[in-house]
This record gives sequence, structure tokens and C-alpha cells, in this order.
Amino acid sequence: MTAPLHPPRSTPADRTLTAATAAASLVALVLALVVAPPDAVQGQAQRLMYVHVPAAWLAYACFATVLVASVAYLLTRDLRWDRRAQAAGELGVGMTALAIALGSIWGRPVWGTWWVWDPRLITTVVLLLVYAGYLSVRGLGDDRGTGARRAAAVGIIGFVNVPIVHFSVVWWRTLHQPATVLSPDQAVLDGRMAAALLAAVVAFTLAGWLVVRRRIRQLALLDAEPAVADPEPARPLVVTAKPQP
Amino acid sequence: MSPSVQVLAVLRRELDVERAGREVMVTTAPYVAAFVVLAGLAFGPAPSELARTAAGTVWLAVLVAAVTVGHSVAGVEIAEQSWDLLRGLVDPGALFLGKLLAVWAALGLTWLFASALVAVLFDAPPPGSAVWAGVCGTLGLAALTTALGVLVASGARRRGLLAALVLPAGLPALLAGTQLTTPGVPALPWAVMMATYAAVLLTVSWAVFPALLEE
Repeated sequence: MTAPLHPPRSTPADRTLTAATAAASLVALVLALVVAPPDAVQGQAQRLMYVHVPAAWLAYACFATVLVASVAYLLTRDLRWDRRAQAAGELGVGMTALAIALGSIWGRPVWGTWWVWDPRLITTVVLLLVYAGYLSVRGLGDDRGTGARRAAAVGIIGFVNVPIVHFSVVWWRTLHQPATVLSPDQAVLDGRMAAALLAAVVAFTLAGWLVVRRRIRQLALLDAEPAVADPEPARPLVVTAKPQP
Repeated sequence: MSPSVQVLAVLRRELDVERAGREVMVTTAPYVAAFVVLAGLAFGPAPSELARTAAGTVWLAVLVAAVTVGHSVAGVEIAEQSWDLLRGLVDPGALFLGKLLAVWAALGLTWLFASALVAVLFDAPPPGSAVWAGVCGTLGLAALTTALGVLVASGARRRGLLAALVLPAGLPALLAGTQLTTPGVPALPWAVMMATYAAVLLTVSWAVFPALLEE
């Protein structure tokens, strides 16, 4: 039996980051719920954009981190990179699932359905599956290094799908709304809406950074702990004849 | 032994193993045949429906068959306990290329078989651009299957994970292959996408393959 893990200790940088996250979240909430007007066509449902888009953004950022950290791990074999990749991968999977769920809730009043066979939606689900596979591969190895190497390989190969997800809106004829903020037409998004969206993106990014930092420290603690003893192997099935009276 | 000779030796060994056991042929060909027939029953029998789903059926069959092929990438060597010897003797790049060529051949034949079956049973002859899809798409899938097949086969657990890894990552081949096999669809953008997919996967799989061979 091993001693319970101590929770990661908070550092001054953590406290600063927590305060910045709280402030950015508060600003984003006020801008998104009070200052920004409801959409002329979609009404209040459009406010889901202030969570849906930042969640998707954070997922992309996490998967890019997985790629960079995976490459760095294979080059250096430093487990710190693997921990960064794992922490980012876990958050990326969570954020992708959140973006899909919120998109579905948003789609119900706007498109009239929970789900459409739209390429953007399908490829995002596929992206979720790829990185769920990435996390599953971690349990494959017999030791820490083998699992990390295999996960790094899948993390790099899996990223091939990310540009396809991003550009699917352009490549396929799609029901999904095209990029608004990065559109060449500068006047498509109301200034208050853009400010709310920007604040939400900043808040999500800071919160994601905080979560990943804490998770990395927790993983480092797990690596430092002595390995938990393997569970007792299954005993062979022994069949004995019942003694006859 | 030079790398090219090693590649040929690995490829020859793969073909000998297949000739002796007919593992891939015996498992993949009936599987694809069953898949196409059942797809025809599920999507048809109206000729217009069959014609519309023909291209997708071919590529879905190839993609799903890639999982079956992937189990044989290192499965025989691990079963015979010769995997450690092989990776110790052969240069990783040569081992990758030899395995890749064998998997490419298997998937290429699978694609050919599925295309022929669909063309006859669905009465939907493919356009000329389907050949490009067949060459590039199976190459990209072969690179993916080779890397992930070794990754999963050399692990002690979770062999069933191969399908969960190969199927989502094979999505671009499925989409581009389907478009290139559908008559009347502009071929150039999809041909470029398929070639890019194959080139990227080939490069990435080759780059990560040595890490998968380590203890």
C-alpha cells in the first residue's frame, strides 16, 4: 500500500495565474451576459458562442501542445515533456467534448436539430476519438518510458487530422458557420460581441494554462512515487471433484 | 548489408510468410466480399441508391480492412518470438519500408478487389481518378497501419485499440477516396489532398517508427 499523494503545492505564479483567470472570467461574464447584445437572428442562444468558441480554441491549443511536447519528448526523452503532452491531451479531449456538446445545444434552437451530418461536426468528433485513442495508448506500455514513446508517436500522427478539421469548413460545402472573427469582411461582428468573445478566449486560455500546470505537477508527483505493486495475478482455475458422501 | 537490400529482404520475408500462411488473403478477401454484399443489401437495392453509395462502400471497406491487415504487421514475428531478433538485426528505416511495402501491397489488392466487386455488384464503374485514389490512399493508409500496427502489436495489452486508432486517422483517405471515386466530382483538389495526406503520413510514420521499436 502506498502513501496518498499530496496535492500539488500552490506557487506564487499559480496564485497570480488564478487571480488573472478569475478577473478575466468576471470580465468575460459581464461582457457576454450584460454588455453584448443578443444576436438579431439567433437571439439569446447566440451567447453560447462565448463558451463554444473558446472551448474549441483551447482544444486546438492543447492539441498543438501535445504535438510540440511529443516531438520534444522523442528528441530529448525527458519525461517532463511527456507530462506536458499528457496534461494538454487530457484537457484537449475535455474541451473538444465540451465544444461538441455546446455546439449541439446551440444547434437545437438555431438549426432545429441536435445533430447534423455536417463535416465540421463529424471531423470534430473524429478528432475527439483520435485523442481519446492517444490517452488510451498510455496504458499500453509495460513501463513508463514505453508508454510515453507510444503516446508521443500517436500524438504526432493524430495531429495530422487537426488541419483537416480546421479547413473542413472551407473544403466542403457546409452548414456550419464559417470563420467570423478572421473573416476578410471586417464589419461582420459587432464590436461588443467581439470584445466579449476575446475576453472569453483569454479567460479560457488562462484557466487552461492553470489546469495544465497543476496537472503536470500532479503527474510529476505520480512519477516520483514508488510504483504501485501489480495486482495479484489471476490464479489458475482449479476444478476439484466434490467428494461423494 | 545495405539498407535497400534489407528492405528487399524484409519485403521478401513478408511475402514468404503470406505465401506460407495466406493470413491476410484468407482473412481480408472474404471480409471485403461480405462487407460489399451486406452494404449492397443495406443501401440498395434501388440502382440509384447503389450508384450513390458505391464509392463510399469501396473506401469504407478498404479502411475497415486496414485494421485486419494492421494486426498482421508484427503479429507473426511476435507470435514466433522473432520480433526482438528482427528489430535488432534490421535498420529501423529498412524495417519500416519493407513492412510498408508489404502492407501497401495488401491494401492495394484489397482496394482493387473491393472496387471490382462494387463495380460489378453495384453496377457503378469508377472514373479514372479512382486509380490515383487507390495508389495514394492505400499508401497513406499503409504508412498509418504499419506504424500503429507495430505500436499496438508490441504492447502487452489492448490489442483492440488498433481499430480505435486507425479508423479516425484514416478519415482523410475515406473522404478524398470517396470523392475521387465518385463520377462527376472535380478531381484535382481531392487528388492534391490525397497526395498530401499520403506524403504527410509517410513522413510522420517513418519519423516515429524507430521510437516504436525501442524496448
